[in-house]
Amino acid sequence: MSNRELSCSTALREAMREEMERDDTIFIIGEDLVAHGGIFGQFEGLPERFPGRVIDSPISETCIVGSGVGAALTGMRPVVDMHFADFVTTGMDEIANQMAKIRYMFGGQAKIPMVLWAPDGGGLSAAAQHSQSLENWFVHIPGLKVVAPSEPSDVKGLIKAAIRDDDPVIFFQHKRLFAQTGHVPEDEYIIPIGSAAVKRPGKDITILTYSRMTYLCLEAAEQLAKEEIDVEIVDLRTLKPLDFALIAESVKKTYNVLIVHEACLTGGFGGEIAARIGEELFDYLDAPVMRIGAKDVPIPFSPVMEDFVLPKVSDVVEGVKKVLNR
Amino acid sequence: MIEITIPKLGLTMESAKLGRWEFSSGDAVKEGETILVIETDKVSFDMPAPSDGIIHPIVPEGTTCAVEEIVGYLAENREEYERIIEEHPFGGAEGTEKVEASQAGAVSQAGQPAAMPPSSAGPKGRIKASPLARSMAATNNLDLSAIVGSGPGGRIVRVDILRVLEEAPAIAGKKVEKPPQEIPKGIAIKEISESIPIQGVRRVILDNMYQSLSQSAQLSLHTEACAEPLIALRERFSRDEGKVSFNAILVKISAMALRLHPRINASVEGDDIRVWRQVHIGVAMEANDALIVPVVRNPDIKTIREIDHEILELIQKTRENKLSPDDLANGTFTISNLGFADIDFFTPIIRPPESAILGVGRITKKPSVRNDHVIPEARIGLSLTFDHRIIDGAPGARFLKTIKEMVEEPLLMIN
Amino acid sequence: MKTSKKEKLSLFKKMLTVRAFEQKAGELFQQNLIPGFIHLSIGEEASSIGTCSVLRTDDYVASTHRGHGHMIGKGADPRMMFAELFGKATGYCKGKGGSMHIADFSVGILGANGVVGGGFPIMVGAGLSIKLRKTDQVGVVFFGDGAANRGTFHEACNMAAILKLPIIFLCENNLYASTTPSEYTLAGGSVAGRAGGYGIPGHVIDGNDILEVRNVVEKAVAKARKGKGPSIVENMTYRYRGHFEGDPQKYRSTDEIDTHRKTSDPIERFKKHLQKEGILTTELEEKIKKDVTKLIDEAVQFGQDAPLPRPEDALEDLFVNP
Repeated sequence: MSNRELSCSTALREAMREEMERDDTIFIIGEDLVAHGGIFGQFEGLPERFPGRVIDSPISETCIVGSGVGAALTGMRPVVDMHFADFVTTGMDEIANQMAKIRYMFGGQAKIPMVLWAPDGGGLSAAAQHSQSLENWFVHIPGLKVVAPSEPSDVKGLIKAAIRDDDPVIFFQHKRLFAQTGHVPEDEYIIPIGSAAVKRPGKDITILTYSRMTYLCLEAAEQLAKEEIDVEIVDLRTLKPLDFALIAESVKKTYNVLIVHEACLTGGFGGEIAARIGEELFDYLDAPVMRIGAKDVPIPFSPVMEDFVLPKVSDVVEGVKKVLNR
Repeated sequence: MIEITIPKLGLTMESAKLGRWEFSSGDAVKEGETILVIETDKVSFDMPAPSDGIIHPIVPEGTTCAVEEIVGYLAENREEYERIIEEHPFGGAEGTEKVEASQAGAVSQAGQPAAMPPSSAGPKGRIKASPLARSMAATNNLDLSAIVGSGPGGRIVRVDILRVLEEAPAIAGKKVEKPPQEIPKGIAIKEISESIPIQGVRRVILDNMYQSLSQSAQLSLHTEACAEPLIALRERFSRDEGKVSFNAILVKISAMALRLHPRINASVEGDDIRVWRQVHIGVAMEANDALIVPVVRNPDIKTIREIDHEILELIQKTRENKLSPDDLANGTFTISNLGFADIDFFTPIIRPPESAILGVGRITKKPSVRNDHVIPEARIGLSLTFDHRIIDGAPGARFLKTIKEMVEEPLLMIN
Repeated sequence: MKTSKKEKLSLFKKMLTVRAFEQKAGELFQQNLIPGFIHLSIGEEASSIGTCSVLRTDDYVASTHRGHGHMIGKGADPRMMFAELFGKATGYCKGKGGSMHIADFSVGILGANGVVGGGFPIMVGAGLSIKLRKTDQVGVVFFGDGAANRGTFHEACNMAAILKLPIIFLCENNLYASTTPSEYTLAGGSVAGRAGGYGIPGHVIDGNDILEVRNVVEKAVAKARKGKGPSIVENMTYRYRGHFEGDPQKYRSTDEIDTHRKTSDPIERFKKHLQKEGILTTELEEKIKKDVTKLIDEAVQFGQDAPLPRPEDALEDLFVNP
């Protein structure tokens, strides 16, 4: 077993290269991909290695997403690069009304094996229109699968699964985690879509989280351990379909739940999870399920304000203590 | 509607203690049936119903009432009864206390708070408890209203339930602390109020009690039986020639049970266990501040009514101080009934040379579970102390079980 | 292009089939037998049949909400079309799509779209797919004068042009986008006129002349097939019915409709041509009409006899891997 540490960015690239080698119906389309392998260097090396299969598009999101849909309908496995997750709005009809619904509307005649890769999240002073976390919009649309990994090994395993899945998948990868390193197995592996993972076992409280907040919660857990509070962290990894079985296993053990996401609190995905826990795990709860999310404002530019708006380690620590009434 | 009032039984009588209601609110009574037993310092009086009707007591048992005080009502019919119960609810603070206490049932009541923490009871008496705590309490048969919550706003949470479950065995030792009173400074002053020489009956009792406990290995078992059949049986007898006492029935039951468990009807003599051929059962009584136990002879071959007469005679003699030594001799088993004092269970002391004694508690309505429903039901406490030198735990328990079964199914007496 | 007599009769029959289908659908809708909305293309038969007739089965078509003609032109089965319109389990989309989302992937129809201008991005994707797979397929995206004003039209023309995608932008300009006339909404007055902005060919033609339609579309298709990129073809045509069945049509006069019907009906015009060429006799016409009636009646019967879906079937066909 090697001690191979890769960044999330490298893990993505490695996965894309392996998949594109394996299957030549896979291509990538998006803006500014060829010159530098993408604005984050996320596909570096791929345009050279697979000429003609990494395609630069004009700024025409309806047709970038639409290309994905049309190509998927006619035998290809496209990976569509959304540039910034915030720009889903400019291709929203193609995502919500076409990508999500075509298979169903046409009675199963077609399938859309497409991945929409969307870098999301804040904390880079990129301000309101380049910092959002919009995953809950897509959880709400029937017909889409929604994935949001945290660490490099999850990125690699899940992008492969998403590409190989015959259904449309939206893949949110946090911008601030591109440089985050972590262990990635050398051998070929896939992480099934719809499987959460316990990133830190514990017995006092279950934290349900995903994407960059997983790291935030791990840090909070270290602090809380010093105060003899033992936190279990469940990284959801896939938001839809949700791995409720693992969530239930954890809640039945700890009886207390805190949900942490970077997306705004109100109407965020945390509300859906909390409601479901209330419905299905009511008798196991020793305290109300609480959620932590960003404050309900657009992400501001100035770092001091952005830090205030986005969830912090101290928010998680306080949240845990509030649930546990300590 | 008729008012039930405390009658003036004697010229100088001013008050009486309401001893025992023979019926519950809503029961139909017939004219002449005893509805209430009141007690003065001299005598116990069975008050009959002035007419047929539906009874509604309003004063709880144990209350001292003035002569002419209204203690209940007799309604002519159901509608009148419905109206009465609305206008005149039973009891007051005292009454509801009783209701709550009995609802605690056979449940550990640890967690009685000394101090007053934030109430776990919300508006309208709703108890704040986490779903987990509720589920745990339900599983362990705990009464949430008796538990103090440590969660936010006094919410009962898991740790509170765990605490109760851990402390359960320790309740016996827990006392409710009384607020500190004015304590005089300096050494405690202790003066003689009265001096009574230990002699006569008191001497005998003193010696016997000590001898009993020091020479035998006594342990007590407690059980509780449904008393409805007992009450029904007594009722049935009453229709013939007047009441028989519960004691009479219990003496008969004990006698028949002893027939099925002869080793209980035995004594230790030197190196031998003597199993007696006859059964004679002593009935503990109080006379002139002393315990006296006249013996009912051969109750196993007598009818209940005969036993009842015999007991009444013995009571009479006791009161008139006319008991002879013959009346007190050769008992093989004893019954002691403390039900009049609201005792449920106790650990009676065996009268040597007997090897067992049955303690009988009060008959009172308690919640009971039948077919997964909680229903009110008259129950009676039964305590058996026996000498483990010659009666082991299992046989002792089986004997008590037989008594219990006969109490619940009197037909089992016919063997 | 050359069209043989046999082909011409076949085209004529197809046009009659479309018209009969649409008329029957309109009747059934009036009788409340078809739920939802339908958008009929009566008067546009030359455009749909003409265009589709020059395509191969493996060529793609992206259709619109007014797509019954495209379906029949590309080879779809009227029986399964009626079953779908009735919402039956054996319709093309198992009753899940209805008229606005009807599709037949087996003959290359990538579906009708309920979003005006929704087909452009999808056809760009299909075109890209053709290019990447290096086949010589082409794709036709049908659209109306209204859709020409959507952002998707412009993004698609631009992208198809720069990537030289093998697609034809086929505008069926029937002068109205729902209630608004193209006179008012179409800046520059011409859809094909926009082609120059994207550096691609644009052709405006009499969309009710089926042979002219075939001619021009065929050339554009050939160009695309050779890898020479996209074209815009604007078929000027007219619809006799409202935007949707039940449309009060206050935006135009019945006189206008009558005038078009009398002077420019595509079926009548082609009939005259066939008669002049001596291809169509009265008996032949009668026979064809009878065959068409029979075909449509059988199709309706099939649709009516088809079973309804079970309510819980609604939960199926969402994912390949649920």
